[in-house]
Amino acid sequence: MPALRGVLAALAAILLLALSGAAFGHSPRELLSILFSGSVGSAFAFQNTLLKSVPLLLTGLSVVLAFRAGVWNIGGEGQFIVGALAALLASRYGAVAALLAAMLAGAAWSSLASLMRLWRNAPEVLTTILLNFIAIHLLGWCVNGPLREQAAMYPQTDLAAASLPRYAGVVIAVVAGVVAWWLLYRTKEGLRLRATGFNSSAAEWAGVNVRAQLARAMAISGAAAGLAGGIELLGVTHRLFERFASGYGYSGIAVALLAQLHPLATLASSFFFGALVTGAGELQRTANISSAVAVFGQAVVILVLLGFEHARRAR
Amino acid sequence: MLDALVDVIPLAIVAATPLLLAVQGELVVQRSGIINLGIEGMMLVAAMTAVLAAQTTKSVLLGFAGGIGGALLIALLFGVFVIALKTDQIVTGTAINFLAIGATSFVYRELQQGAIFVQAVPRPRVDYVLPLAWIAFPIILALFLWNTSLGLRLRASGENPEAVAPVARYRAIALMIEALLAGIGGAYLALVLSSGFAENMTAGRGFIALAIVIFGRWKLKGALLGTAIFGLAAALQYALQASARGVPYHLLLAFPYLVTLLILCGVAGKVRAPESLGR
Repeated sequence: MPALRGVLAALAAILLLALSGAAFGHSPRELLSILFSGSVGSAFAFQNTLLKSVPLLLTGLSVVLAFRAGVWNIGGEGQFIVGALAALLASRYGAVAALLAAMLAGAAWSSLASLMRLWRNAPEVLTTILLNFIAIHLLGWCVNGPLREQAAMYPQTDLAAASLPRYAGVVIAVVAGVVAWWLLYRTKEGLRLRATGFNSSAAEWAGVNVRAQLARAMAISGAAAGLAGGIELLGVTHRLFERFASGYGYSGIAVALLAQLHPLATLASSFFFGALVTGAGELQRTANISSAVAVFGQAVVILVLLGFEHARRAR
Repeated sequence: MLDALVDVIPLAIVAATPLLLAVQGELVVQRSGIINLGIEGMMLVAAMTAVLAAQTTKSVLLGFAGGIGGALLIALLFGVFVIALKTDQIVTGTAINFLAIGATSFVYRELQQGAIFVQAVPRPRVDYVLPLAWIAFPIILALFLWNTSLGLRLRASGENPEAVAPVARYRAIALMIEALLAGIGGAYLALVLSSGFAENMTAGRGFIALAIVIFGRWKLKGALLGTAIFGLAAALQYALQASARGVPYHLLLAFPYLVTLLILCGVAGKVRAPESLGR
């Protein structure tokens, strides 16, 4: 029962959050009530959660597509950033062009890792992480240097030349989820991709070009994360600043794992983590509890699921 | 320019010390067959527990002990999952990093009002860690890994687990050694290099350490060489910063990670990892 395991893991995370708060003298009841009211308790909070779920859904899909192919793309954060940068630069040609540029940039950035893997055998789990750091500093340079706003007041860019309706991202992300599902489970390419991840030598024997599959999965995965960055820019923040990514890329890993790497389940898991992130933001504002507790919650979810996974194998 | 580079070399050696400790720890643990991506979080937690211990006891030595304690806690958690429950090492390591970032940021904010992170942190008068990290530990570890039967079994756990009876024991020992080294590294980062704890202060050192282990082909000589090359590249960055010759600051910040990528690509193609690494 994957769904039950997921729900239990999510509950465990919230429970542990409340206990950790209690250990530092916060009332667990108050903590939970802020977490709840700040994420889904009002129409306003619900809208915030929905907006936060959009990038999480896309970075989650990015991770699903990569992990399904057996590719360790931990680089969602960097791909998210370069996607947004490309979207900003291309925004003068319209929102559609900007989103296409975001996907291309994300795919190009992640493909750097597959190039290094295929040519030099450098493990992508490390190269993608290192590329995150490079992208973060690249963004820092852009918003402090060449792309700094005309008024030069803050280290941020000017507004993007195009924008999306606020909730357009919800539609795009949900469509992307369905497309990812269709791609993985209803096409030959998807079968090859999953076969590569399931057992790459068996797939090779069966005639799958494993190297091409790895490269393709990495590119699609990067495109999804890049698209997330583009949508966040055009639909929500409208400009870039140093902390623009704020962990969306990394959170995609937790989203994908909670969904047990299923694209449609990612719809639900991204909403859960979207609510957690939004609620955690409210905790920081009203109770001065670090919003990083959301990251803590992600860790607990993953660890609990790993425990379940072990129990299932042991049976 | 060259003068500036020579000037910053001592600084570079000091600055690369936590990294070198992490590299040696990760080398041992990978020799036993475990990839610990969570070393980043291990060092981060160690940095925090070191500061907490040093502040409450007013002793640098106990601060380092606190760092080791924090790292051991993370090693215990990581070990329960990957050794006892045989969970996926990369996923577990990633979760450990999330846990460390979340937990340290949470505790940091909780205790900030108590000023424990604000007031001056006890600093060592003499830097004993530096010679330990660059001379003593590499020699001890080399002797241990290649000249003792425990070391042989530890390496066998990484090459051919079927050949050694309780693989779990040797991997647990390797993990403890890593925690010891990474704990000292994290404590050094907080107590010597910085004056206290800051959120995410490890800044990817754990990941860079993993890259250097591969560059050094899982050998201590290679680990020292790799860390030295990386340290020099970092020194170059400091020298450029000092000379302020028009290279934007933020691009300089990206430089170490770029160097690490080049290091990974420069040699990774030709190396052979321990046979059962990651399994």
